[in-house]
Amino acid sequence: MVKDENMNNVVSSLILVPIISELRGFARSISNYHCLNCVQKNRSNTTSSISNHYCLILFFTFLLILGFTISASAGHLEPFKAVPVPEKNPQTPEKIELGKKLFFDRRLSGDGTMSCATCHMPELAFTDGQDISMSYPTTRNWRNAQTLINVAFQKFLFHDGRVRTLEDQALFPLMSAFEMNQNLDFVEEEISQVPEYVKSFRKVFNGEVTRERIAMAIASFERTLISVNSPLDRHLKGDNSALSSDAKKGMDVFVGKGKCLECHHGVNLADNKFYALHVPENPALLNDPRVTATVRFVAKVYHYGDYRKLNEDPGRYLITKEKKDWKAFRTPTLRDIAKTGPYMHNGVFSTIEEVIDFFNRGGGKGNTVLKSLGLSSEEKRVLKVFLQEALSGEDIRITYPEIP
Amino acid sequence: MKEYEGKMRLVIKHYPYKYRDFSHIAAEASMAALDQGKFCEMHDLLLERSPRLDKESLVKYAEELGLDRARFREALDRMKHSALIERDKKLAVDLDLYNTPTFFFNGRKVIGNRPYEYLKRIIEEELKNGKR
Repeated sequence: MVKDENMNNVVSSLILVPIISELRGFARSISNYHCLNCVQKNRSNTTSSISNHYCLILFFTFLLILGFTISASAGHLEPFKAVPVPEKNPQTPEKIELGKKLFFDRRLSGDGTMSCATCHMPELAFTDGQDISMSYPTTRNWRNAQTLINVAFQKFLFHDGRVRTLEDQALFPLMSAFEMNQNLDFVEEEISQVPEYVKSFRKVFNGEVTRERIAMAIASFERTLISVNSPLDRHLKGDNSALSSDAKKGMDVFVGKGKCLECHHGVNLADNKFYALHVPENPALLNDPRVTATVRFVAKVYHYGDYRKLNEDPGRYLITKEKKDWKAFRTPTLRDIAKTGPYMHNGVFSTIEEVIDFFNRGGGKGNTVLKSLGLSSEEKRVLKVFLQEALSGEDIRITYPEIP
Repeated sequence: MKEYEGKMRLVIKHYPYKYRDFSHIAAEASMAALDQGKFCEMHDLLLERSPRLDKESLVKYAEELGLDRARFREALDRMKHSALIERDKKLAVDLDLYNTPTFFFNGRKVIGNRPYEYLKRIIEEELKNGKR
């Protein structure tokens, strides 16, 4: 159960249906929850036979009897509709194609061994399949490479949310000493020496090669990596046969007892917020001087005072310097989760079962965000079925571009 | 390899990193150790002691492994296996490889250092498929 100061103002409008469901033996189907309109519609239908007054009495009675903490989900599930595109960087086929070439071009790394696709491989759902992301030769990364599927929907990028747009994000790994280790002044000149690129930039941007335009093109390509037509999407659009029986039961757990929906909602199944869940440290990162160098390098860049003594990942604290953000990380999308392991910011969990167990026991030691869920083995099983089956969109097939 | 003895064959190709001072001579050292039947032992030692891979250190490692020091040093001095290493490098470039290690399991490419369990899963799948 996530404590959220923004929740209280929505409790009164959304809590009635769940409570009525509780009264009726926990409603068999949670399809009523899947969009706000449906919730409200359902609310008016259901309450037609029970007075609002009576409902409120029951509501408070239940709070007293069961000792509920008031915390309702502001979220709901949404099917895929459209990709958000910033006005300043409209999508064009030529720009997307240019971005695709740059995405796969190893010129973007200092030694020519790494492209964006090195850690975001199309065959591995735009991850690298490793617990800790691949790194520039001789260095070591410290975090898991996240999927790029649906990255267009994120309001914050990176595990620590340091930037807000894909255009701002794209150049960070290029510059990062432990990722692509490229110099941006140099890469502009390097790309400008390739006639085909010069021609493309002129056509797409009506101008020269610049780092900003490189980023804009890559961002445009990344906005095409969208999870579509998953069983969940079909279910939410009214196809009652889209989910298996177990997946439907798993969805009940997802929105109900499992409380997953509290943070994993909306079309991208993520709330764009940050939580300190106290995820266990990945043993692979401990006592590796290369990782320590990476941790302290990033801390130094973000003006963390005592960076020479730092041995762990401070998470979003590095960005905000706010105590509440110490070891807090952004809620990730759950779209295509079956294909995007290992999981968590440090890839410490290899399987979905491990992740479910982590949340079921109330998160990591000492965290104040989660409480144990008390899911049974069967509830955990069907929840996994839902996550694996319902959230997997169509495979994104990429034809590798010819790099000029 | 022990776990899958008789079921799979391992072929190692060299791809020394172009921007590392000692990566080529380290490849030479592994081949010089192979001449004396201790490729795997040298391979493991090189990874363990990296980046201290200058020639004098390599000779010391050879002594640690009980190799004939003079023979080993002569192989390094002559760059005896250079042609083979260069041939492997060309193969890697022709295959558009850029990251070490890169594995091929019956042609299935896996880029980067992976945990054993990850590789094991692929091996099991390939053995099940029965492809050669």
